Amino acid sequence: MGENKKNIFIYLAAVSFSILLIFLALFIGSSQINPADITAYLLNRSAVSASTAIIIGEIRLPRIILAFMVGAGLAVAGSVFQAIIRNPMVDPYIIGISAGAGTGVMLALFLGIEIAIFNFSSLPAFAFLGAVATVFTVYQLARVGNKLPVLTFLLAGVAMSFILNSLMSFLMVLRTENLQQLVYWLMGSLAGADWDDVRMITPYFLTALAVIVFYLKDLNILLLGEESAAHLGLNVERTKIILLGAASLMTAAVVSVSGSIGFIGLVVPHIARLIIGPDHRRLIPLAALFGASFLLIADTAARTIMAPMELPVGIITALAGGPYFIYLLRNKSKNIW
Amino acid sequence: MKIMLKTDKIKFSYGQQKVLKGIDLEIKTGSFIGIIGPNASGKSTLLKNMSKSLKSDSGAVYLDHKLLNDYNHLELAKKMAVVPQNTEVNFNFNVYDIIMMGRHPYQKRWSGVSQEDKEIAKEVMEVTDTLKLKRKLIKELSGGEKQRVIIARALAQRPDILLLDEPTSSLDINYQGEIYDLLNYLNQKFNLTIITVSHDLNLTAQYCEELLLLKDGRIFAAGTAAEVLTEQNIKAVYNAEVLIKRNPLSEKPFVTLIPEVNRIKKSRQKDFKIHIIAGGGTAKNWLYKLENLGYQLSIGVLNIGDADWQAAKELGIEIVEAPPFIDISEAEIKKNKKLIERADLIILSDLPFGHGNLANLKVLLDYPEKAKILFSNFDIKKRDYIKGKAEKIWNKLLEEAENIYLLEEKANLISKIKKLEN
Repeated sequence: MGENKKNIFIYLAAVSFSILLIFLALFIGSSQINPADITAYLLNRSAVSASTAIIIGEIRLPRIILAFMVGAGLAVAGSVFQAIIRNPMVDPYIIGISAGAGTGVMLALFLGIEIAIFNFSSLPAFAFLGAVATVFTVYQLARVGNKLPVLTFLLAGVAMSFILNSLMSFLMVLRTENLQQLVYWLMGSLAGADWDDVRMITPYFLTALAVIVFYLKDLNILLLGEESAAHLGLNVERTKIILLGAASLMTAAVVSVSGSIGFIGLVVPHIARLIIGPDHRRLIPLAALFGASFLLIADTAARTIMAPMELPVGIITALAGGPYFIYLLRNKSKNIW
Repeated sequence: MKIMLKTDKIKFSYGQQKVLKGIDLEIKTGSFIGIIGPNASGKSTLLKNMSKSLKSDSGAVYLDHKLLNDYNHLELAKKMAVVPQNTEVNFNFNVYDIIMMGRHPYQKRWSGVSQEDKEIAKEVMEVTDTLKLKRKLIKELSGGEKQRVIIARALAQRPDILLLDEPTSSLDINYQGEIYDLLNYLNQKFNLTIITVSHDLNLTAQYCEELLLLKDGRIFAAGTAAEVLTEQNIKAVYNAEVLIKRNPLSEKPFVTLIPEVNRIKKSRQKDFKIHIIAGGGTAKNWLYKLENLGYQLSIGVLNIGDADWQAAKELGIEIVEAPPFIDISEAEIKKNKKLIERADLIILSDLPFGHGNLANLKVLLDYPEKAKILFSNFDIKKRDYIKGKAEKIWNKLLEEAENIYLLEEKANLISKIKKLEN
């Protein structure tokens, strides 16, 4: 079938583009490393000097992988939120979930609670608590009777974001010793990423991803509207809670290492949908690849534009995504799905 | 006959507001029921209670002799399909994907599309005539096509009963009939039990076997269209003056609203009474004009069902009526005379005469003192179907000369009346 061929082509292109980006990102950085050395390192780790090996293996590689996970995670979470709320204007950043997760992390750091269970860091768990509490609050605030008007949902999310961001700023002022690091984290940054970060979020990330993949078909049916979905045999309330939980966990996992990076969850699902259509079984993987690539490009730019200084990558994604959000708002009446 | 769905004293409130106040229903397998009623009478709420979208405060709903609440989501979806009022699809799935979603209750989470799914999808697309739309995006479709796709999706669930909430409310008139034709076909061909909620009395009356008229959360009337759609019922439920006609093809009742003019006119009526003798649609074109000018009109004797009778009925004009195909009786002539005696002017239209209505002409001879306008645009010889009898009376009338005004041009009627009025 022609359609299938087209989809295979789209995926092939997206995967090759992502792989190409990973290599490119390995080669680019503030310290000049001979491309030949990098190739040599990839072929045989002991073939290069110790410092080069550290820069590549301990600094660039974990950061690339983390950027990949964070970008993919935000895009997937964004797609899920958009399907549940049935509106393409929603993303974890705009509706305050990122801020909620961030506040959870901040509180944990501030109170000095860092419990490791079975080698799992508890930071993402706190982020998750913050995120879930925020989703719940925004949802309750926005609900009018039985309905969930998008406008009130967005406004409630923005209001919660303000409150939580102030709370985070307050906590920061109380803990002035590593202010710059916190400011960066607040704006969204992957600076200082290492393998520990990757290890920390992987179990949470994979759990959330597994749940979402399990419910891909249900996401499609939810798009028909809750009433229709229920008549098609879907347990709507339960499905919504599970999916909101999974998407919050996904957001929480990535926010706990990157801070609030905005607009990826908004822009990327939308573009992916334009290319491959609204069926989540095809959409989610493509959105994940696009999100990963998008953040990888943005982060590579963030660490090279003003090298050796670093920009918080959140600035770049917001500069790219904000106007897109405005464009979507302006075109609301048109075909945005 | 088997009972498909039964409700037992169901009550439902939105907060303080009681919407359903005890509804008892038994719907037989294979029936086609139309629920009608004014806004806020509880029609949609009843449908939602029957489809588990809302849970009744008290009472019970049984689907196929089993409590609705005992069905889980998937079981229910295999037995009952619902087309909700708002089926707006905000995203660009293609028609095939949408219809395939109707197979959801039968599919396991990881199983792909089975051969059976494909066959059923094809079948429902054929039935609903959506096969040619298969690859189109839902947003490219017209309102009627979209609704057919939604119905196809519902059919893909292989339900025993189909519930539709205002299935045609957003459609143009040509699509409305199309959707009901489809529902009728499904009902007849597959013995599918169908319940629709609609505010369109006439569509419902034409298609549904049985009607259920709701008022304030209660069943006000139930039965065939002819039983439910009566002038009294509509007056009681909608507080509207209507005229019930019969659709000449289907013999089903047809509701027409009597214009508001009738209720306003009383205040601006002239003190000039006109009695009209007409029939066969010879007066209907100018009745409305006279009515609007504020003359007090009466008409008779007219056969029930005659075109002029319908027009007069719609306008709320006082009528002396007689059953068709038999001669006008003495009693009717008497009634007619009463109205003539009251009138300041008599108008005789260019109606044809036969045995049945000759008395209408003859009666004029009794009132030489009354002003009469006689339409003379159409030669009496040509509209005399009783071998000169009518012509004879006509000529006798003309002998009076006084008080007789012949009207050659129909268009001059109003100016003629105005002259006589002063």
